[in-house]
Amino acid sequence: MRLIALLVIVGGWAIAMSGLFLTTASTTRILFALVGICVSLFGILGVLNQYYLSRAIWKK
Amino acid sequence: MKSLKMKIYLLLAILGVSALMGFATLAKAEGTALTDQDLTSVSAPTTTDEIAAKGDPGADFTGNVRDVTVSDSKKGLTLADLANQAGQNKIAINFVWTLICGFMVMFMQPGFALVETGLIRAKNANHTMMMNFMVYSLGLFAYYVCGFAIQMGGVAPVANLGGLYPLNGEHVVNFLGKPWGLFGTKGFFLHGTSYDVGVMVMFLFQMVFMDTTTTIVTGSCAERWKYSAFCVSTIGLGAIIYPLFGNWAWGCGWLSQLGVNFGLGHGYCDFAGSGVVHSVGGLTALACAFIVGPRIGKFNRDGSPNAIPGHDLVLVLLGCFILAFGWFGFNPGSTLGASGNGALRIGSVAVNTMLAGCTASFAALLYMWIRYGKPDASMTVNGLLAGLVAITAPSGFVNPLASCVIGWIAGFLVCISVEFFDRVSKVDDPVGAISVHGVNGLWGVIAVGLFADGRSNYGGSWNGVAGGVKGLFYGDAGQLVAQLIGVATLVGIIFTMSFLWNWLVDVVVGQRTSAKAELAGLDIPEMGALCYPDFQLKAQDYGSHIASQAEAVKSK
Repeated sequence: MRLIALLVIVGGWAIAMSGLFLTTASTTRILFALVGICVSLFGILGVLNQYYLSRAIWKK
Repeated sequence: MKSLKMKIYLLLAILGVSALMGFATLAKAEGTALTDQDLTSVSAPTTTDEIAAKGDPGADFTGNVRDVTVSDSKKGLTLADLANQAGQNKIAINFVWTLICGFMVMFMQPGFALVETGLIRAKNANHTMMMNFMVYSLGLFAYYVCGFAIQMGGVAPVANLGGLYPLNGEHVVNFLGKPWGLFGTKGFFLHGTSYDVGVMVMFLFQMVFMDTTTTIVTGSCAERWKYSAFCVSTIGLGAIIYPLFGNWAWGCGWLSQLGVNFGLGHGYCDFAGSGVVHSVGGLTALACAFIVGPRIGKFNRDGSPNAIPGHDLVLVLLGCFILAFGWFGFNPGSTLGASGNGALRIGSVAVNTMLAGCTASFAALLYMWIRYGKPDASMTVNGLLAGLVAITAPSGFVNPLASCVIGWIAGFLVCISVEFFDRVSKVDDPVGAISVHGVNGLWGVIAVGLFADGRSNYGGSWNGVAGGVKGLFYGDAGQLVAQLIGVATLVGIIFTMSFLWNWLVDVVVGQRTSAKAELAGLDIPEMGALCYPDFQLKAQDYGSHIASQAEAVKSK
């Protein structure tokens, strides 16, 4: 699960970077960057954090 | 001719940063070109014997033409001597400025130590203090060995510090038709050609910045971090992770070249390190907090958080003020000089820093007062720090009004973020380091892309792109793209690297102390001595749930 989370996080960065090559319009590049950041944050807070929450000591 | 001599005295008295230019102007005003011959008739205002006899209480004679170094005593004073003296004076001013600012940033270490120690329980005070103490040595060593070279090994030329020409090696790969600078290759162990006066100044200044990053992590993992794991983790951060992002942003790496290579404004701009220093530290703090896990008793079985108050608010408030003072070295010092190349903006940078901290502490105080009915001290402190973190990247590019807005937003943001990590994400961060440094560091990076007003002019260009840095509100959407790419890199790459490194440390060393040590307090089990041996420490009662959490830590 942790590796999947890391893949999602890095994937977000890749989405942001792809905007630089796929378009020259600033607005579209901003959109790519924002989507990429959201995907990375989802990987951190939605996937990785959930993994650790599922094993949290206070749930035992 | 007499009038010309008087003018020359005046220029020397001002200590001649622009002496050569001044001479040229004066000579033109007189209608004749100044020659070495003209300088032969220049004499000092009084003799050394007279000064020795009477002293110079009014500073009328100390520092005059006699103090200009003459290269050839037979020729006497020449224009070349004056020009060289003026050049060295400029670089000397910049060296002294940068070093003193570096010393101030170094003094932020006790500030961090006091804030963090004040916010944790007395039974862990020695442990927390010692973490903050040792990040200095551990980080410095790692940075000396390879961190500095990776970060700044290809940064030359830096005009304010005399060029730094020995740092001329950047490893660049070509990918999809663009050059991508990845890491520096000169300056390992400060050996060989990097044994250079300018390089030493740059090393000291950059080292204390790196040190700030490493000390952020100790806050989020306080009260349950195994000391040996902390040592290993810090070395990795100081040697590799921080320097890599530092290179991409400040060392002529690929982020800084987004303007040149992709036409994105001036490339990624981070004046003093909201991203490089604070976000890297804050995101590493988050990665470590995941791995280490929450303190025993922080959360109840239903997930609701318990407040674990710190043991000394005096330390917290005093530490915060020390940090605020040190920030005047952090941000204005990032001009790397006070003379030339637009460095006179140091006043503007300092005022921006001051204003953002002010409005942020206001905002945090207001938020807590309205929401909880009391002006909370620890969150007001975090508000001030959040404002300072947020203005760190934009401080050199924005105006005072924008600084107030950036700080104001940071003050609210830190409160909301602390609540989010406490109640929604359930990440235990005893001092709020993730919110203060991570979240507001990212906000600071974005703020450059919004509020930079294009009025700054550091030698005519920034990151190789001519003109001042302009954000979206001043007409350059490309700058915002560059900043967002920086944020994506911090969140996507730097967080991942930090997580992988600390995961490895967890597997090899083990990140968390034993439950027994944590419940007893880390001072004796980890450090062998209590911070307050004469005090009677009182255990906090979190109910019967503590035992099951302790068992869970044991079985990890």
